[in-house]
Amino acid sequence: MGLALALAAFLLLATGGTVVAAETPRIAQIKKLTGQVTILRAGERLPAKIGDPLFEKDLVQTGTDGGIGITFIDNTVFSAGPNSEIALDAFRFDSNNFQGAMLADMRRGTLAVVSGDITRTTPGAMKIKTPTAVIGVRGTTFAVQVYGEHL
Amino acid sequence: MMRREILALGSMILLTGCPRQALFVVLPNAGDGGVGAITVEEGETATTLEQPYAAAESRAGSTARIEESRENINVIFRHAIAAQPILPHHFRLYFILGSDELTPESKIAYRAVFDDVKQRLVYEIEVIGFADTLGDPAYNQSLSLARAAAIRDTLVRDGLDRDAISIAGRGKHDLLVPTADQAPEPRNRRVEITVR
Repeated sequence: MGLALALAAFLLLATGGTVVAAETPRIAQIKKLTGQVTILRAGERLPAKIGDPLFEKDLVQTGTDGGIGITFIDNTVFSAGPNSEIALDAFRFDSNNFQGAMLADMRRGTLAVVSGDITRTTPGAMKIKTPTAVIGVRGTTFAVQVYGEHL
Repeated sequence: MMRREILALGSMILLTGCPRQALFVVLPNAGDGGVGAITVEEGETATTLEQPYAAAESRAGSTARIEESRENINVIFRHAIAAQPILPHHFRLYFILGSDELTPESKIAYRAVFDDVKQRLVYEIEVIGFADTLGDPAYNQSLSLARAAAIRDTLVRDGLDRDAISIAGRGKHDLLVPTADQAPEPRNRRVEITVR
């Protein structure tokens, strides 16, 4: 009984660990940086570095002199100007059939987007939320500015 | 002059009641062109923008089309656009029948792949191999993977980071030129490369 419980707990832990690892593959890579840019991940503030991976649920924050360019694994490209905040809420992509979906939360600042394989395969499968509206993306190149509350 | 601007600003605030909350703009498509389009949904409104420099704004609970000059758009988004990395590029290289050796033309074209990678601060490379329909599936699966591996090995030999290169083989699936089974087709003996 005790052994069975211990084994069950171990299996739970082991598979729990595996599931977590499988659920957090890299979804993008930082390609370009200027000024101060911070990544908020699981409550931690990390300085952004060129080449670093980004994961689902990451929050990207640029400072007053900051800019960042990232490329997702479906070849979507995001680039943000200063005083911007973008949460990578949801991202899944199957490189075998190019099916996927993406949701980003543009909270403030400026963002330019060149959409990739997700929208090529499924127009509308990429959405960008702003505080007031939701953008459905058929493709390809567009930009969003969200005004801060201080304006 | 100053007084007129203040008056203009005052009347704008009176007319609109509340300030712009967000601006949405379609930009000219980079690279392969095509028609871009976005739809902005807010409350009861859905605004579709499908021309370069078409713009809409959020204001007071709804979104509507507006005219915004190219100059203003370029100023508003200049830093975001300046932060854009080199866009991903696709390449296709062809192979000799039954071999993981490139055709003479593709040996030359390979240089363009390498040169593209070298322009980037950091890079990821995906190489997917394919075969034509001559031969059985198992043979073509291993041939297609060998083609992808051969390109990776060449890139590594030329000094690129092996960890930044992923490979896969699709056998005789996903033909570039659809054919019957057991059909020789040079354009299907290929790798598709994405550099980003």
